[in-house]
Amino acid sequence: MESLRELFWVGQEVYITEVFMPIIIIAAVLFPIIIVLFVFGFWRRCWLWMAGQKENRFEKWPTRLISTLAVAIANIRILRRSELYPGLMHLLIFGGTALLFLGKIIRLFSFGGITIPPQSIYLYASLIAEIGAVLILIGGGMAVYRRYIRRPSRLDTVPEDTLVFVWAFLLILTGFMIKGFRIAISEVGPPDWAMWSPVGYLVSHAFPTFITEAENEILVWHRTLIHAIPAFIFLGYIWVIRSRLQHLLLAPLNVFFRSLKPAGALTPIDLETAETFGVANIEHFTWKQLLDLDACTRCGRCQDACPAYFSGKALNPKQVIQDLKTHLYEVYPIPLLRKPIESRQDMVTEVITEEVIWGCTTCRACQEACPIYVEHIDKIVDMRRNLAMERSQFPESVQEALKSLGARGHPWRGTTAARTDWAEGLEVKVLSENSDIDILYWVGCTAALDDRNMKVSAATAKILQAAGINFGILGAEESCCGDPARRMGDEYLFQTLCEKNIELLKGYNVKKILTTCPHCFNSLKNEYPQFGGNFEVIHHTQFIADLISDGKLKLGGLDGNKVAAYHDSCYLGRYNDIYQPPRDILKAIGGIKKVELARSGPTSFCCGGGGGHMWMEEAPDQRVNVKRTEQIIEAKVDLVATACPYCLTMLEDGLKTKEVEESIKAMDLSELVVQVL
Amino acid sequence: MDVLLRAVAIFIEVAILAAVMYVLFTGVRLTVFDLGLGLRYKKVVTMALILAGFIVVVFFIAHLTSFYPDV
Repeated sequence: MESLRELFWVGQEVYITEVFMPIIIIAAVLFPIIIVLFVFGFWRRCWLWMAGQKENRFEKWPTRLISTLAVAIANIRILRRSELYPGLMHLLIFGGTALLFLGKIIRLFSFGGITIPPQSIYLYASLIAEIGAVLILIGGGMAVYRRYIRRPSRLDTVPEDTLVFVWAFLLILTGFMIKGFRIAISEVGPPDWAMWSPVGYLVSHAFPTFITEAENEILVWHRTLIHAIPAFIFLGYIWVIRSRLQHLLLAPLNVFFRSLKPAGALTPIDLETAETFGVANIEHFTWKQLLDLDACTRCGRCQDACPAYFSGKALNPKQVIQDLKTHLYEVYPIPLLRKPIESRQDMVTEVITEEVIWGCTTCRACQEACPIYVEHIDKIVDMRRNLAMERSQFPESVQEALKSLGARGHPWRGTTAARTDWAEGLEVKVLSENSDIDILYWVGCTAALDDRNMKVSAATAKILQAAGINFGILGAEESCCGDPARRMGDEYLFQTLCEKNIELLKGYNVKKILTTCPHCFNSLKNEYPQFGGNFEVIHHTQFIADLISDGKLKLGGLDGNKVAAYHDSCYLGRYNDIYQPPRDILKAIGGIKKVELARSGPTSFCCGGGGGHMWMEEAPDQRVNVKRTEQIIEAKVDLVATACPYCLTMLEDGLKTKEVEESIKAMDLSELVVQVL
Repeated sequence: MDVLLRAVAIFIEVAILAAVMYVLFTGVRLTVFDLGLGLRYKKVVTMALILAGFIVVVFFIAHLTSFYPDV
């Protein structure tokens, strides 16, 4: 007697030869059409990107490929602790789709005796496909709940979003309907079906059947066509229209072409050959910057991460990308048609307003949050460059800071201090008198000239002396590293300062530089090499942590049991991946109970001082530092430790604004170490 | 009762088919405007697609009523 399994297989073989295979043959005929639609759709996008400037993003292929596979397949930047729900939702949809396709493709091999026994592989394929479909339904359900019921503010919904949900659901539903009806008309009993097609088996109970086999076969055909035709059209639709589902291709492409240069290194302008400074028109962006606009899936993670947006400022990084994308399509509404410049909106003041452009602190939280490496900051700085260098349009306070930088070599207009006042009585070596040093202490403008931060430079010098380090300073010869100028868009001033500093440092044969300011650290380490200045640069927290671990510094403890948290500086953390050394210092100091702030590490909340904001006026109800201070207060700490002069200044200001300066102290880590030496 | 159940089953199938037609025609509408058709044609295109969809759904009702298994 034939086994149930063999009977089951005979039924499947009939289905495969009379229904499934003809569909495959039709698909093979239609497939070239889908390929043509894909090529057309991709060409539409590509053609727009090629309107941008050239940029080399083709180096280091193996590194690029590995990170692309990691993001595209393992979803590593999508599934994060802080984004568990949407990450899991995406993983279910992605994983489910992969399993569904795998199941369908395996079925191709279950015909023609390719495997022995043929029916086993068909059964596994059937189960895999059903599991995949169920995962898609669960993930899709989570997505629908989140988008239409919870409605987080970072998600905006357009008609195409709803269409995709309904379409995908119908494809899965009609797929199960085919399966269910085939089971309903099958002569094979329940156990096999229930095990290898559990959902199909459940659905089969809902279908009445005809008495005659011929009529049932016609109905199988009907149901198959109702599934197959929308499925083929869906595959074509994704590529013809500028659907967000094209992120299947565009997101991995954007990850592949991501920037591999140091995070903190902005692209220099060749001032001698550049026809325009910064970007005034959409075509002034590079092709990769235009690819960013198309790759963006409107997930809104950058919006949620942005401290400026959180503080009520006009800047919304997601909106910047989307507005630029809309502008790109307005300039190029259909392929081969380009709107003349005179009839376009002004990109730099109308499409993206000056308020938005100057609202950015360049903290990089947006880029850290973005799963597909969209680069927001480059675009904003490029627009600032155009405003500053071509149009001389910037906030008045920015203008004053830049004037002071140009005239006096520092942005602190109004200071009466000299560069060496902080070192009075400390017997610090100045290079112009004695250049025999092992390491240069680059003090930085804020630590040299701001009253509060002078205590930090003095503390650092005392620590170096206590550890017996042979160091010196440039003193009056030191001028600004140029970071504020570059971030405020004045690339010419930055390059002038940079080249002058490199010449000075090379003149003294400086090899190793220590700095207390993460902005100086970033500039000297990551941007000076662009102009031939290659030095070993180390931040004071890294240096002090090494001295502690080498036993060259012995630390005691603070009085009382203080609760302390470390506030991560953006330019130390997100820009240069330095998170642990400051924490090691805090751990080495006795009498401290260390806690972490709600947003710390890579998700740290900006103090509001970067991107030139130390010198910009802000509306009282839109201050980033006040928002950060509120987070510090919520953490119930006695002490917040910093590693950046901007952070120290902004947080102290925030604590005074919230009137908690007596109960919560802000101190640099070097000040804490000096206290317990 | 069987007649009622058959009617319910036909209704559900027609609803699913109508949803399939909805997504296909909405896809067509979004595509033509994404390809560059002026927005001034939006009303005409929408009306035409609604009419086509209506005709198709009527066909499905007629077809399923005459060709659907007895419950």
